[in-house]
Amino acid sequence: MARRSTGPSRTGRWLFVVGAALLGVLVLPAHPASAHPLGNFTINQYDGLTVHPDRVEVTAVVDAAELPTRQERPLVGGDPVGYAAKACRELADSFEVRASDDRLKWTVVSSSFAYAPGTGGLETSRLECALRAPARLDTPATVTVTNHYRTDRVGWREMTATADGVRLVDSPLSATSVSNELRAYPADLLSSALDQTRASFRVDPGVGASAGPAAVVTPRGSDPLSRITATAERRFQLLAGGHLTPLLAVLAVLLAILLGAGHAALPGHGKTVLAAYLAGRRGRPRDALAVGAMVTVTHTGAVLVVGLLLSVSTALAGDRLLAYLGLASGLLIVVVGGWMLVKSRRHSHHHHHHDHSHSHSHGKLSLAGIGLAGGLVPSPSALVVLLGAIGLGRAGFGVLLVLAYGLGMAGTLTAAGLLLLAVQRRMARAGWVARLATRLTPRGTRRRATGTTATAALVVLVGLGLTVRALAGAV
Amino acid sequence: MRRPLIYLGVPVLVAVVLLLTGGVLGGHSRPAAAPVAAPTDRLADSIARAQDRLRTLPKDWRTWAALASAYVEEARVTANPTYYQKAQGAAQQSLTLHPDGNVDALVALGALANARHDFAGARDQARAALAVDGYSADAYGVLADAQTQLGDSAAATDAVQRMLDLRPGLAAYARASYDLELHGRTDDATALMRRALDAATDPHDIAFCRNQLGELAWQRGDVAGARREYTAGLAADATSVALRRGLAQVDAADGHLDAALAGYADVTGRAPTPGYLIEYADLLRLVGRPADAMTQLSLADAAVQLFTANGGVDGLATASLDLATGRAADAVTAARAEWARRQHVDVTDTLAWALHAAGKDAEALGYARRVAGTGARNASYAYHLGAIEAALGQRDAARADLTRALTTNPYFSPLEAPVARQLLTKVGS
Repeated sequence: MARRSTGPSRTGRWLFVVGAALLGVLVLPAHPASAHPLGNFTINQYDGLTVHPDRVEVTAVVDAAELPTRQERPLVGGDPVGYAAKACRELADSFEVRASDDRLKWTVVSSSFAYAPGTGGLETSRLECALRAPARLDTPATVTVTNHYRTDRVGWREMTATADGVRLVDSPLSATSVSNELRAYPADLLSSALDQTRASFRVDPGVGASAGPAAVVTPRGSDPLSRITATAERRFQLLAGGHLTPLLAVLAVLLAILLGAGHAALPGHGKTVLAAYLAGRRGRPRDALAVGAMVTVTHTGAVLVVGLLLSVSTALAGDRLLAYLGLASGLLIVVVGGWMLVKSRRHSHHHHHHDHSHSHSHGKLSLAGIGLAGGLVPSPSALVVLLGAIGLGRAGFGVLLVLAYGLGMAGTLTAAGLLLLAVQRRMARAGWVARLATRLTPRGTRRRATGTTATAALVVLVGLGLTVRALAGAV
Repeated sequence: MRRPLIYLGVPVLVAVVLLLTGGVLGGHSRPAAAPVAAPTDRLADSIARAQDRLRTLPKDWRTWAALASAYVEEARVTANPTYYQKAQGAAQQSLTLHPDGNVDALVALGALANARHDFAGARDQARAALAVDGYSADAYGVLADAQTQLGDSAAATDAVQRMLDLRPGLAAYARASYDLELHGRTDDATALMRRALDAATDPHDIAFCRNQLGELAWQRGDVAGARREYTAGLAADATSVALRRGLAQVDAADGHLDAALAGYADVTGRAPTPGYLIEYADLLRLVGRPADAMTQLSLADAAVQLFTANGGVDGLATASLDLATGRAADAVTAARAEWARRQHVDVTDTLAWALHAAGKDAEALGYARRVAGTGARNASYAYHLGAIEAALGQRDAARADLTRALTTNPYFSPLEAPVARQLLTKVGS
């Protein structure tokens, strides 16, 4: 697709996955205008490359709309054959193809030029050139294509690449022409005009399925889990937008819970911190539940606030906002870790005088911090659902779905916490662990203090990691 | 004693944490070969974002309307009219999904109508939008453009003022600047356009502001200043046709005729609009290449024909072309028809000039005086008035107006400025 429409958007991988998967679904009927479909000024080009072990062949087509055709008319004169040969030579000289840095030297095998009736009693024209150049492609090589021919003119510029007797690897070019070699331009409302003027790919010897433009469409992180999640997310987003029956609504809510749970299972979301905290501070099941609740509340709130901001301001870039929130989340974890660290040091010095309830209130604060950090960064798909619902006048349903999504996330986090506690208890019952631990650490008090310190340090470490990641994303 | 066990959990945790953070840090590295679009092209970025979004949420009528507006902008910036069709389709899609009170779609359709020179249609769309939402700055923008072109100067100024109040910024400053220019307040217009330039970050916006600043300098006869603006604009956006044309105009004024001809060849190659083609033909005639000039004029004729065949009406272009090819009577007919539709100062001036060419100077004088009455400081308008007065034997008035034309901008037209000088010596003697 066009340069402008397929750059992996920085909006986040989920949006990208969903966008790519739905590519080209929405093809609307052509506009019933009789003029040149791409406007009267345009000079449109198609270059189809066929790569052979010993040569490269190009089918080049130039479809000129009414006015450029008229402008060229004095050059054609009464000699279309001579004009075609001359124009194809010019095109060949401007069509730069390099195979492992050697520039190919084109021979114009055939050329033709013809007028076709256009609008307002004027004509359009079609130039066709067949080019051929010898090339040594029987060993692996990199081919780069750069089209310099009339690139200053407004127009559609399309390239395709196929192989015969060799294999194309990582080719960004499609194997077939979407415009049927400039005979039928797609009237898709959701695609910009093609503007392909450069491309590069590898050519490997041997025959086989050439790795075509699939590379462009395949989203990042194309492991099975991601793909299944992507499919589910797409359904989810369509559910919020489609015709709504009570059954569908219930299904959408259930799906939202599931997706939230799945989303929280991916790396991040302070699971590590939660685990470290529970392990280091001898957490109780209640703590895990508290963190879960906190995550739900924070995430729902964050999605609502960010959604509101994004729907009010068009200048605000969603990806930036998410990156900053990620930064805030990372810093928050650092602060929580730092707090735990300070407290554990204090603990080791004054633990005789320490008031138990005091320590407990510190713990609550830290737990709240962890929950906050876990829910602060809104999931892009939850955002899309909310914005979509607002756009469709179903803001209430959108909020409900987002809430369900947060509940799902909380479920996973709580479950992870409870699981960890269960494992811990099991380990406690296994006597050998206790013996080993006693041998390794001679004095109980220091042991405990050092343990909390290490946990706190770990939390700081994770927080720093998340901060660095967010910074990398924001810059 | 369970505490030791907790302590023992730490090494295990270290491993878990390292694994997870490793996964987190590693999992988000971007593919090296990702073709990321230039981050500065905000328009292309917003189009791509809207397209992506609509593939996921095809019923989001707001985004359909936003996409329609972005397509209209894209057509203006790239001079590629294909996007008008897409804009129409996207706006209609939005209206189909949400027929009542859809301000965004009405604004998009209004902007599209303006771009297609259907100014009355644009005015109606803007009014319909404002009936739903009286605080839509964009609707006031469409209304201001339409009223300006229709020649309702008071209504245009009012709409611009409302837009400035609601959302001061690049779009409002630029419109207010043009409004001031039409009222002859060139210095204020320049100051406001400078403010617009300060607010611009996108290369296309910078190019637009520089082009307007170049025009304003040109109208004052400040050729060096105009060149500075055009050159600065082209540094921001090398593909801008309007800036390239401005530079060619300045080259011609400076006597660099070869550079000017090359510039116009480039401009008309990329955007063969009747206006540019007529200017190119003027220049070709000036250097003694009448045959080439005729070729360009026949091309302009084809462009007008195509515009008409596609359902467009542009009496101004038709009249200008008729004047350039010496068909005075046709020019009067076309200009009269256009003036019945809209009374923009350019149309009034063209009608006066066509009437003068057809020998109807008494009638022409009324229109030419009407032009002068707007206060617009434009050398070409003043020359037309002076020439009409000279033809009617009003030597004092003619002398004054011809002098005003040549002091406002001595280079205003490569063909007409020398004629104005000759005429001035004739009426002065």
